[in-house]
Amino acid sequence: MVTGVLQLCELDQARLDGKLGKAMQFAMQTIVTAAHIDRADTLIDISFAHIDACFYNGRAHLDFVNYMLEHGATLAVPSWTNNGLVSLNDLSVRDPLASREMHEARELMQAYVKLGCNPVWTCAPYQLPGRPGLGAHIVGSESNAVSFYNSVIGARSNMYGDYLDVCAAITGRVPFSKLHRDEARAAQILFDVGKLPQAVRNNDLFYHLLGYVVGRKCGNLVPAMVGLSESCDEDDLKAISAAGSSAGSVPLFHAIGITPEAATLEIAFQGRQPQQVIELTVDDLRQARDELGQNSDQPLVGVALGTPHFSYTEFERLVNLLDGRSIDSRLIFYLTTSRHVFEQARQQGWVESLQQAGIKIITDTCTYFSPAVNGLHGKIMTNSAKWAYYAPGMLPVDVLIASLSECVESAVSGEVILDQWDAT
Amino acid sequence: MSKRSVNIEARVLIVGSADGPALVLDDTLSFWGGFNPVNGEIIDVHHPQYRQLVGGKILCIPQSKGSAGTPGGIAETLRNGSGPLAFVLGEPDVNISIGTLVANRLYDLNIPVLEISLEQMGQIKTGEAISIDQNGTISVNR
Repeated sequence: MVTGVLQLCELDQARLDGKLGKAMQFAMQTIVTAAHIDRADTLIDISFAHIDACFYNGRAHLDFVNYMLEHGATLAVPSWTNNGLVSLNDLSVRDPLASREMHEARELMQAYVKLGCNPVWTCAPYQLPGRPGLGAHIVGSESNAVSFYNSVIGARSNMYGDYLDVCAAITGRVPFSKLHRDEARAAQILFDVGKLPQAVRNNDLFYHLLGYVVGRKCGNLVPAMVGLSESCDEDDLKAISAAGSSAGSVPLFHAIGITPEAATLEIAFQGRQPQQVIELTVDDLRQARDELGQNSDQPLVGVALGTPHFSYTEFERLVNLLDGRSIDSRLIFYLTTSRHVFEQARQQGWVESLQQAGIKIITDTCTYFSPAVNGLHGKIMTNSAKWAYYAPGMLPVDVLIASLSECVESAVSGEVILDQWDAT
Repeated sequence: MSKRSVNIEARVLIVGSADGPALVLDDTLSFWGGFNPVNGEIIDVHHPQYRQLVGGKILCIPQSKGSAGTPGGIAETLRNGSGPLAFVLGEPDVNISIGTLVANRLYDLNIPVLEISLEQMGQIKTGEAISIDQNGTISVNR
């Protein structure tokens, strides 16, 4: 039972009283404030953290981590880094010498390495070995990763943001609230996709559009989807995680018969009835596609893939779709991934073949935010609802969302080629 | 206090005080990606209040949106002086609160974050003069 009055153990109290140093005290004050806001009555241990505060968003980020470092902070749990604003592997992606901000962005990333983080620099840490397991209490931060950890892996995380993620990693503690608790994990609203034509469901863009529609319509309820194909894989579930968290707030979803806490409707809804049942139509998906970008008369400038970071299996699909062909020389083609997956793809010879085809592969960061990576202006195709949702606000781009195969065919020909994906 | 004022008792998430005009948002907002902390502008092209500035306002946000970057956006806009004078939330948003807590601590500010019900939120209209005290009393002056 939640009383809303926080009980602290002796060690937590000592941390709060400053007996373990000023950095620990500030971290503990932040955790206790979060517990007060959540009306939590106890704190629990975590086993892992994914840190977003390494992503530069102004001087405040640097001031915060420098305060922690100067006052002797150390990390209590394994903590992996999210994307940075710049790539430490390739400084030309966003030139650190070009502005004070880019310099500070690089300094910020280095500060988190100094603090003791594992520098994986990825928004898709769940693609790397050593990910947390079912039921593990963790700190996720980047919204697609929180959604994926909760939904696809069954680990337990609230939507932790900058600073709180670091304070949790320093203390090893979080409020026992919301998605850490069984009752908050019950599905509440059901989306039935079973009546959509098979051809629509087979298109890989489907999962991006589905995530967008669910994010738009579920409000603050935990959504479950029924009728998804059993062939739905982690790339598809990643697309739902990212799109849902862009269009709305979906830190947890269930896919009946697919995700680990949703073997059946009964289990996913914890024995209760859905508050609402929505049957999705092709029109819902068409509308989502239209909202995410129109096919304007502007000439195609480029393609951006890998938001969230491209997986090993996505590399394989791209290589197969490209089938030895090259990108039209008038176009730019960016692909973002993690260092780990880059290395896996390199060992298969895929990195070299894609680079020879004219694709620029970027690690540590992403392309959908400002400042623009070289050449990203004008009409850009992407297969990512997250890219399509955010980029127009931050970059001088005109977005067209399309399936992976449409992106590839368009990039090869130099002009937009779209399938009749919604022919019924 | 004018005779047409209304008092609302809020739950205090972060202690502080402020006086200024209300800006009530019509949709959720991510303070990373949907917001520019340099000038305090809403840059989410899908947002009904796209291009509006939040600086110098008592920013009222009925529904929150989970975004890991939100605390950083909040702390940075407050550091820059382009941010709101206070946040009045319809939901107890940890991210907005922690961003404010960190800015208050690092930059010696006194920005409050308060939680009220959606019903109470309905009593506040954009442009109305708002006063907030340390105890969480919101006075709406018409």
